[in-house]
Amino acid sequence: MGDPKRSGVDLSRRGFLKSAGGLAAGGALGESALSAANSGLLGDGVERLSGEVEIELTLNGAKRKVKVEPRTTLLSALRERIEPPLSGTKEVCDMGSCGACTVHVDQKPAYACLLLAVDCVGKSITTIEGLAKGDELHPVQKAFCEHDALMCGFCTPGFVMALSACLDAKPEATLDELKEACAGNVCRCGTYPHIFEAAVAAQRAKQGAKR
Amino acid sequence: MSALDPRAQDGAKPGKKKILVPKVENGHETMVEIEVDDVEGPQWGPRDSMRLVNHELVRVDAVDKVTGRARYTHDVRLPGMLYAKFLGCPIAHAEVTVDLGAAKKVPGVVEARVVREGEVKFVGQPVAVVAAKTREAVEDGLRAIVLGVKPLPFAVTREQSLAANAPEVNRRGNASKPNEDGDPEAVAKAFEGCAAVIEATYEMPTQHHACLETHGAVVDVPTNDAATVYHSTQATYASANEFKGPLKVKEVEVVNEHMGGGFGSKFEAGVEGRVASELARDLKAPIHLMLSRRDEFLCAGNRSGCVQSVKLGGDAQGKLVAMQSSIDRLGGLGGGSHAGLPYIYEVATSARTMRSVYTHLDANRAMRAPGHPQASFGMESAVDELAYALGVDLVEIRKRNVGDVHRRQLDRVAREIGWNEHPHKTKPDLSDATTKVGIGFGLSVWGGGGHPECRVTVEISPDGGVRASVGSQDLGTGVRTYVTAIVAEELGLPMSGVTARIGRTSYGPANASGGSTTSASLAPAVKHAAFNARKAFAEALAKTLKSDASEIVFDVQGVYDARSKRRLAWKDACATLGPAGISAIGEWQANLASNGIHGVQAAKVRVDTRTGELKVLKMVCMQDCGLVLNRTGARSQIFGGMVQALSYALFEQRVVDPDLGIAMNANFEDYKLAASLEIPEMVAILDDEDTRGVIGIAEATVVPGHSAIANAVHNACGVRLRSLPLTSDKLLLGLAGLKKG
Repeated sequence: MGDPKRSGVDLSRRGFLKSAGGLAAGGALGESALSAANSGLLGDGVERLSGEVEIELTLNGAKRKVKVEPRTTLLSALRERIEPPLSGTKEVCDMGSCGACTVHVDQKPAYACLLLAVDCVGKSITTIEGLAKGDELHPVQKAFCEHDALMCGFCTPGFVMALSACLDAKPEATLDELKEACAGNVCRCGTYPHIFEAAVAAQRAKQGAKR
Repeated sequence: MSALDPRAQDGAKPGKKKILVPKVENGHETMVEIEVDDVEGPQWGPRDSMRLVNHELVRVDAVDKVTGRARYTHDVRLPGMLYAKFLGCPIAHAEVTVDLGAAKKVPGVVEARVVREGEVKFVGQPVAVVAAKTREAVEDGLRAIVLGVKPLPFAVTREQSLAANAPEVNRRGNASKPNEDGDPEAVAKAFEGCAAVIEATYEMPTQHHACLETHGAVVDVPTNDAATVYHSTQATYASANEFKGPLKVKEVEVVNEHMGGGFGSKFEAGVEGRVASELARDLKAPIHLMLSRRDEFLCAGNRSGCVQSVKLGGDAQGKLVAMQSSIDRLGGLGGGSHAGLPYIYEVATSARTMRSVYTHLDANRAMRAPGHPQASFGMESAVDELAYALGVDLVEIRKRNVGDVHRRQLDRVAREIGWNEHPHKTKPDLSDATTKVGIGFGLSVWGGGGHPECRVTVEISPDGGVRASVGSQDLGTGVRTYVTAIVAEELGLPMSGVTARIGRTSYGPANASGGSTTSASLAPAVKHAAFNARKAFAEALAKTLKSDASEIVFDVQGVYDARSKRRLAWKDACATLGPAGISAIGEWQANLASNGIHGVQAAKVRVDTRTGELKVLKMVCMQDCGLVLNRTGARSQIFGGMVQALSYALFEQRVVDPDLGIAMNANFEDYKLAASLEIPEMVAILDDEDTRGVIGIAEATVVPGHSAIANAVHNACGVRLRSLPLTSDKLLLGLAGLKKG
């Protein structure tokens, strides 16, 4: 499901940073270990930054300053650290298995839960809030409304971002390619038949607009 | 199913009538008698006169959902808010002590607390909580907690729980006293006259709701004896009461604008609601406590598994003659649920025993049609096995043992799936072909009626605005949309002329969304409120226009007074109202709702006998739904039920290591859900021969899909898989068994 090629993410790095310190259940990270992590030097002469640093992200075309930790994911930065928050991007699995946090990084779809915020500096990030041009919805957004391609709506931003990235890159995409483009997204309400209808309608609208 | 037909009862007072309505508590439905006014009220009217209701509607909140503007509980951010998460018990059964010393010193951590010490009975049961300024600090705090864990003997499987030397799971015994029904001796005698008898055991694993938005609440700091709680709940109005105790306040406003699924698991505030409230009260800071995905899998409910042993006999024509069954419900520490056998089918003589077997796993909760998918799998599989034993057509055997509606639907669905042309109607395909196609069927029923719990307010303001308010919630079914449509239709307005407000306690009483009762309870009250608002507006206008209220007509062109033959635009008519405008209340109307729905589903599958690959090619569902409020939304919901059942058939099961007692797949990587590449061609047929009032449809649609798929697998290749999910390893073993003969 979480295709690292598609999201362009170094899985191992985030996995290491998140799990450093042991298992969540039962693992004991005492005071001494914490203070060592904050000391900056671990004996190899390499200085490590810790705590919060301010970075600048390019979000939906605007420069936004945000304080993050080195381990803060892009998802966490969007939802919990940016003011005002961009909470349209949803947290569901937090491990690249569901697609709910799909955003565009330099026009390519990526799972925000698998990206570190600090790695996104200098890249152009589009979230669901920035997909429409003002009041004009993206063809995928419009088609989702018209074809009832959503129910509870929690997976919807992820599906919309995955399909819009596919169609923006390849307006002639076939239904099979569109299904492949959202194969990493999960909808528990089970709206897939309407999602496929909407994807095809959006594809036709894109093709029509091109002519 | 006693829940199917509400019948008028004798003994009502003059001007009143008694009717039976379903009452749902935690998703479990029972019928209760209530008294309602026996008077002329609002009517839905003929369907061909409808302009919005029963049409293809665009959801009024669709734009909010596709732009990320829709705010879910998970998205709520309040000034000074702290994030909180639980630490769960790492093993199945233990004596636990919690040392919070180091956790409290972690930078950013504001509070660490014990949630439970002493005996802990399942993996993931919350034992401690950490509240901190950032999510990262919460994780650090949780990691710094030192648990003292003394392992105790556990039983996480049915076999372990029933073993002679099993550890005690439940004080009153690891199995409940069996509930017995029918006369086993009469059944034994009835088997003697059968043309064929089959015996088999069918198993369903535990499945998860897997709501995409996890359980939890954001609790604001209580002030002046009142508090606001943002809660992802199926019971917005009722859940307010649950927060009053832990918050120590008299008034609680629950806000639930949008929610990311519930499926029966979100009726209660739960330990997460209680702990968030206590933290908010004591720390004087808003608390954001949403379960982690892992916690959600381990402690937020599940659909109970079951083991059902069935003996079923029929006569040569396929009439079901005798059935004996014994059912073990596997609901962990809960009782589990099972709708009972012979479920939908009429069997001349039947008897059954049913009991709960308890294990050291979290308790099951209501889940979309509690107990029905389990009963469906046992019964539909057994009926299929008997049909092959008798050599009777798989559709015919069903038609001979069910009622008229199901018979009609079976014919229609059989035609749509291609049964009539199918070459294997009484025998599976046992040829040497390597890819084989099979078809299977399954039936469903559900109550889905309404009851009088909602109070809806419709307000018309002098500026022309119309507002409908009720403290209901939308689990994704489209409540805002049909509330808007009903009011707009009654007042002759477009959808854009009405604003529906739901998802707040203060918008007025509403029922919990359980047992598919929301629409049948709410829609009649909305219609009534709109009807009353229209009448009150007509009376006010009649005074102004010196006309009679009965001569004032509201239609798409505005307001027309038949006496003076004067037409007013809607806004101009509203401008004649005083500053208070019109405010009307609506309550449930028995004549606008109905109860009891039926469905038939069929599946066509392809089996590759070399690899054991199973591909579902097509699914068809026909569903009677009473008055469909929104045809597009109804189809979405039918597809949703079919997709969930497809997912049960192919993938879903909780995996617990029996030696370690721990859950092996408490995440979305290992607990697989059907997604875009598994979805077959899907057809949803709304049964328009059903002319009744509003009935809920959600539950019925999830009942039979997996049974139809399992039956189709057997039809395709002769392998009967008696446990879900239908994985390739099971299929290959079955195929190998067939070859051996």
